[in-house]
Amino acid sequence: MADLAGVNGQRESFRVVGKPNLPGILSYALATGVAKFGIDYVLPDMLHAKFLRSPYANAKVLRVDTTKARAIPGVVDIVTWEDEDIKQLSSTPFGFGARRPWLDNIADQENAEVAVIVVAENEDICEEALRQLDIEWEVLPHVVDILKGRQADAPVIRPPEFNNFAADMFAPRPDPEHPKRGNVSFAITVQGDVDAGFKEADQVIEYDLKMPTFASHIPNPPGSAAWWFDDPYYGGGKSLHIEGAVQRKDAIGAMYGMPPEKTVQEGLFQGGKYCDWGMRKSQEITPLLARRTGRPVRCVNTREETFDFLMNERYMHLKVGIKNNGLITAVDDFSISDGGAQGNSAFGTANDQGYGPYYTLKCQNIRQSMEIVDSNRGKMYLSGQHCPFNWDAGTMAIYLIAEKLDRDPIDIAKLNLHGPTAQTDESPVPSFEACLEEGKKLMNWNWHRAGDKTLPDGRRHGASFRYQICPRHAFSGYDCKLELRKGQVHMPTQGPCTGIYAVECNAMVVAEELGLNYEDIKVDFDYRETFTPVGGGSDGTTASSWAMKECANILKQKILEAAAEEAENPPPPSMFSFGQPQEPSPLKGHKPGELDIVDGSVCVRADPSKAVPLARATSKNIFATYSGRPPASIWSTGMGRMLDTMNTAYCEVAVDTETGEVEILRFGVVADPGKVMRPTSLESQIDQVMFFSQGCQLLEEYVYDERTGVRLTANMLDYKKPTILDIPPVERRFLETRAGNAAYGASGISHSLANTHMVIIAIHNAIGVWVDPPATPDKVLKALGKA
Amino acid sequence: MADKENTKSAGGGVAFTQEAAQAQAAAAISAIPASLKEFRCPTCNRVFASLTDLKAHCAEEHPGSVVPETIPLHINGKDCEVLIEPHWTLQRALQFRLGLTGTKHMCNRGVCGSCTVIMGGRAVLSCTTLAIECGGQPIITIEGIAADPKWKPLIDAYCRWDAMQCGYCTPGFLVSAKALLDKNPHPTEEECREALAGNICICGTYPRHSTAIIEAALKMAKEA
Repeated sequence: MADLAGVNGQRESFRVVGKPNLPGILSYALATGVAKFGIDYVLPDMLHAKFLRSPYANAKVLRVDTTKARAIPGVVDIVTWEDEDIKQLSSTPFGFGARRPWLDNIADQENAEVAVIVVAENEDICEEALRQLDIEWEVLPHVVDILKGRQADAPVIRPPEFNNFAADMFAPRPDPEHPKRGNVSFAITVQGDVDAGFKEADQVIEYDLKMPTFASHIPNPPGSAAWWFDDPYYGGGKSLHIEGAVQRKDAIGAMYGMPPEKTVQEGLFQGGKYCDWGMRKSQEITPLLARRTGRPVRCVNTREETFDFLMNERYMHLKVGIKNNGLITAVDDFSISDGGAQGNSAFGTANDQGYGPYYTLKCQNIRQSMEIVDSNRGKMYLSGQHCPFNWDAGTMAIYLIAEKLDRDPIDIAKLNLHGPTAQTDESPVPSFEACLEEGKKLMNWNWHRAGDKTLPDGRRHGASFRYQICPRHAFSGYDCKLELRKGQVHMPTQGPCTGIYAVECNAMVVAEELGLNYEDIKVDFDYRETFTPVGGGSDGTTASSWAMKECANILKQKILEAAAEEAENPPPPSMFSFGQPQEPSPLKGHKPGELDIVDGSVCVRADPSKAVPLARATSKNIFATYSGRPPASIWSTGMGRMLDTMNTAYCEVAVDTETGEVEILRFGVVADPGKVMRPTSLESQIDQVMFFSQGCQLLEEYVYDERTGVRLTANMLDYKKPTILDIPPVERRFLETRAGNAAYGASGISHSLANTHMVIIAIHNAIGVWVDPPATPDKVLKALGKA
Repeated sequence: MADKENTKSAGGGVAFTQEAAQAQAAAAISAIPASLKEFRCPTCNRVFASLTDLKAHCAEEHPGSVVPETIPLHINGKDCEVLIEPHWTLQRALQFRLGLTGTKHMCNRGVCGSCTVIMGGRAVLSCTTLAIECGGQPIITIEGIAADPKWKPLIDAYCRWDAMQCGYCTPGFLVSAKALLDKNPHPTEEECREALAGNICICGTYPRHSTAIIEAALKMAKEA
């Protein structure tokens, strides 16, 4: 595939796209602190709100007496789950699982919002009022160890009315032969004849791995400020202003019966959510409280209240049948996955079965069965940076086959990867081959067996390799608009700014197509505009840029038509130029098809010296619109069964067998995003996922007190994120095979380089034993039998 | 090329050029009132004309409640009087009283560095610094750095190198960088890393900060 359907998809020369070090359009606002995030909003006369949070991992509020709390000076309002106002709220479309009242009396994880909301003059009074609530709790048995929770004698923790596991935009795959039992739901996906595949095998490899859970960590604690105001322009009555729910203002407006035109949100900025798009209750409740009190209300989670999952915990057992040459004949993947609290995203569980590493194999005998265990551990909203989560199960299979056969894992991967068109396609994937060639050079790749290499300083050396698809999973269509106004091209957009440089890529493409510079495109941020580049991360960026490319060419055609027309029939002189002699336009006598825009001027293509600056080529204001999307990506249609753009990643570690300390010597990444649009942010995005990967494999850990079910590390002191002193070098190479079908053959990079076991595999390659993530020194020593 | 006079944004009127951001930062500083004209009760929101009246009200109407105080702060070269409660952090005072929202609230326990300000020449964490202890000490926030043309090369370099993704932690990094350059105008990469060790970026922009700081230091040295 490639960008064959779009205008100039095969463009060969680029002046703007691919240029490094172009400042982000919002970067100055961010760097200088003038960018206001939702929780920065402070309004005159503003009230504050706080939810009651459960001190128990699983509990029910049987009764609450608010009398004492209401009597505290400064308490303005208290609402409970039994209030009609609360009962009438319903969650936004980004909620998952069986619908549950927006707020009820069930707390299914420690720190869950439950039963009561207090509104007061300040947060301290809110806290005091919450302490003064007289609450009768029914403390229920909890499950924070999913291996125990799946057992037949485990307490059943979920009320029957919320008994199914989460369903979301992709259908879950319940196992029809295994209805839910206790806390466990069953999902299964089977392709081919797995038993026959194992019969065909010469050898069988079995292994276990534990996928770690780790925190989403939206940098700005989620929250909102809302107020109602008189609005004579849109039908009178009150309109809603809400800040802190970027991109979701219309959904929140709808919760309160407000149409989009009466729901205002000026803020553009939302800390890096990275596919954690689920709204928190603190972002949805403020309009109700502001309506009830008649004053602005702010409700913000603390950092400790925002330790939701970016990924659910999972225990996997894999059985892989292979021929003696390393060719995989069957895969049997059994996993026990944390289903989390009610409403947990199915991206963390059953949805993983729809795509992933296995479908990139020539082997077509694949069974994925999963037990999804309801738990009181926490909740994952929508998706995470590591989706698809099970990719490292395949990476580990390739490593283990290589170890068993004393072969280079790269050769095993090459042997097993199917061709571009189907699982039956035996031909090589050009993008993959190119990545490997470059990767071997980058890493000076020289494979060794586990435990076979000692560094001069006495530490053990380990290395690992991994491949992935560069996906484009943006399904959205885009409604683009461009305007030439007084000689300047404007690109209106609602934004937002969520940690990706998407509108910048859009503007670069527009500049490229219009013969202008990046700085010439005026990006107008306006929440009322329809265009948003979001629809995934870099993949949404490339898809939206494809649509914007079409729009830019429509605008260009209109500009050339207007320029040709005005060259023939100059508009009457303006008041300022009246009486001055008018030179004939150098474009006179030329048809639109003979003109072009080069270096900011409309010129005659055959003789570029005949040119008029764009600002003077036409006096008209010209609009162009385009609604559409690029052709569906092969990732979205094949889910791995077809391949275009790919990437490879590498890791080298040094393990001190005396101290157990692991040092990542370097990560290496060779990625083919099809076409590099904005290299500076692409580099940064790759760094990000590698550091995510480092964190979850070496540092970050949720620790639960099993007796109480309380999370012990839900704060940034005890939950260790990598700092600038922790991170290893990341060496990167980018290839441009133009094989994707978004703008100019670009695809995406997004989550695909995030991994949970590349460091872990490298550690095994160093010391010959497995250490579950996070591989802290004590665990390494224990694995070595030294602790 | 495009009409350079046409720099105002359409639609929502949101413009974020370097000049606009610098001007907005300067405006935020200008908007800080030098003295208090009203004294609002933190418990019942009633407004009084003096601190004495407010304290009398608190004693009479809300015995046992927190009694507000005023403190003199010297922020970004400007003296001001701020009404706070004794347990308030400096970050809270900056955001809720002075409208300086560049000092970000994130971890709230002195771990992440998003709330970094410079006080008395040292980078300090305003989320774990009591406002009441800051009286009279010169404090520089990101707005002060952004409004000062001297630091334009640093901000330019941060923007050129994408030393930010979502940008929430970025002001804290920049303040730490400025504190470093104040003391060490020619830092090495290692010195940059050490100076920024207390700032956490979840978007993983770490390698870009030292690149930006060193580039800015070179430019500032040339301009000096």
